[in-house]
Amino acid sequence: MDTATINNIRFFTERTLIYALIVIFLFITLFPLAWVLSTSFKPNEEAINFPPKFLPENTTFSNYVFVLTDPGLVRSLLNSFAVSVGSTALSVVVSALGGYAFARFEFKGKNLIMSIILGLFMIPVVINIVPLYTMLSNIGLLNSPIALVLTFQILIIPLNILLLKNYFETIPRELEDAALIDGCSRLGVLKRITIPLSIPGFAIAAVLSFRFSWNEFILPIVLANRPDSVVFQVALYQFISIYRIQWGYLTAGITLAIIPVLVLMLSFQKQMIKGLTIGAIRA
Amino acid sequence: MLSKSIFGKAEPYLFLTPAFVILLVFLIFPLFWNVYISLHDVSLITLIKGWRYIGWQNFLDLIEDPNFQTSLKVTLLFVAGSVALQFGVGLLISTLLNQKVRAAGVLRALFIIPWTISAVIAAFSFKFIFDENFGILNYLFDKIGLQPINWLSDPNMVVWSMVIANMWYGTPFTILFLTAGSFSINPTIYEAAIIDGASKMKTFLHITLPILKPFIVINLVLITMWSVNFFDLQLVMTGGGPLFASTTASLYMYRQAFEFGLLSKGAAAGLILVVINLVVAFSYIKLLRR
Repeated sequence: MDTATINNIRFFTERTLIYALIVIFLFITLFPLAWVLSTSFKPNEEAINFPPKFLPENTTFSNYVFVLTDPGLVRSLLNSFAVSVGSTALSVVVSALGGYAFARFEFKGKNLIMSIILGLFMIPVVINIVPLYTMLSNIGLLNSPIALVLTFQILIIPLNILLLKNYFETIPRELEDAALIDGCSRLGVLKRITIPLSIPGFAIAAVLSFRFSWNEFILPIVLANRPDSVVFQVALYQFISIYRIQWGYLTAGITLAIIPVLVLMLSFQKQMIKGLTIGAIRA
Repeated sequence: MLSKSIFGKAEPYLFLTPAFVILLVFLIFPLFWNVYISLHDVSLITLIKGWRYIGWQNFLDLIEDPNFQTSLKVTLLFVAGSVALQFGVGLLISTLLNQKVRAAGVLRALFIIPWTISAVIAAFSFKFIFDENFGILNYLFDKIGLQPINWLSDPNMVVWSMVIANMWYGTPFTILFLTAGSFSINPTIYEAAIIDGASKMKTFLHITLPILKPFIVINLVLITMWSVNFFDLQLVMTGGGPLFASTTASLYMYRQAFEFGLLSKGAAAGLILVVINLVVAFSYIKLLRR
């Protein structure tokens, strides 16, 4: 065999190996969710049949009907939407102001404040659950959506400030200076020039904030666990204690909980990687 | 630069005030408040009555509690296993996807799906798969002639089942992060290396890894700290059981405070977690500086 043939063979084995590994890992990644999805269309009794079958034998939508008509679960879905939208809106506004200060001003202690904010990002929120619980219980904010919207901010703000700072820096400063010279106020410049140009940056920040808020479990289970104030993630968890687990219902609930974030994340995947790249390089 | 602001030099600080106030009230203050709680006797029952000062008693109780000692051991296994697998598999997959494969963008999107879902959902999915009566994993084991495993009820196995679930849930973040890192590498470097006749393995070891090093270290810090503090999976899958076999230190803190109602003992455990976090962060910083 000549070297060209040997190289060809090597090339093909290498390619085959790469694709084989990708297929195996992809299977491991997707199988659990595919299994949950398929189970959500099985009646509760069939869901725990042994030996298990992948495809439902008696396909049913009754699990979804159950979840979407159970008053408690519907209430918790609405709570989740309200809290997530509120927390996303607040974090984008607050982080935009902060990110703008870092992107456009020179001020005393700028680098120090930036490092403090990034350092704070490293502090895990869970170590604060006990003090947060006593604080909020003292001021009567337990079981209130406001408590969740405010406490979720500490998960999101540091990352969003960094992200939006980097985004603002890509907008040419000259545009803003021109408007300032024409007599626009700072806030006027923000409203007429910077914000309209930063919509893509806001979109990434909003998607990430929504994901954090929608998926958060520990803060809500500690701070808002009364039946009328629970969010959807907590309602799913309380499923175990209320009923013996009904896997048909539960998998339908899981599927519904996945959809909003999955749709958002997949539509913004490219921007997300770009956002993280800029963030990580600067950090 | 011309400024029409009446606030003058204070302006940037004003822009930062809302973020600062929120972080101060909900992140920094609670850290100190936690110390105060840990030195008092506070339970869910005495929460609104007076808090008795008891000094170091909570910490002494912790050190003597065999369940707390177990939880430190469980934490070590859980963190070591999770970090090794998440990083190893994450690096492997992100490298594979960089080998000019077809539809790499679509594949990347599929690989990060677990990162978009909540830990509760990951936990339930694996509770279902690991089930010892009707779970599909033991069924597959049976099919290929292996003994079924008591994934969640065997005290020696349960922590490894958690590691497997955490690998599934956490690896996508490493893929995303390292992919972002590799996008920052200028592709002409590789072309030069190939012209010089360097093998794939050599370019990976001598070009890719060194350039990725800052990303790798930050990634390791983040996934280590997350594994230390993360207890959503354990809480949903086993509640920390059987007994305390899958109770990591962070879950121990939660259980003391909100399952047994001993808030101040939980606060004390929380402070020990802070120390563990600091140790992790500083060891990696040292590693990065080297």
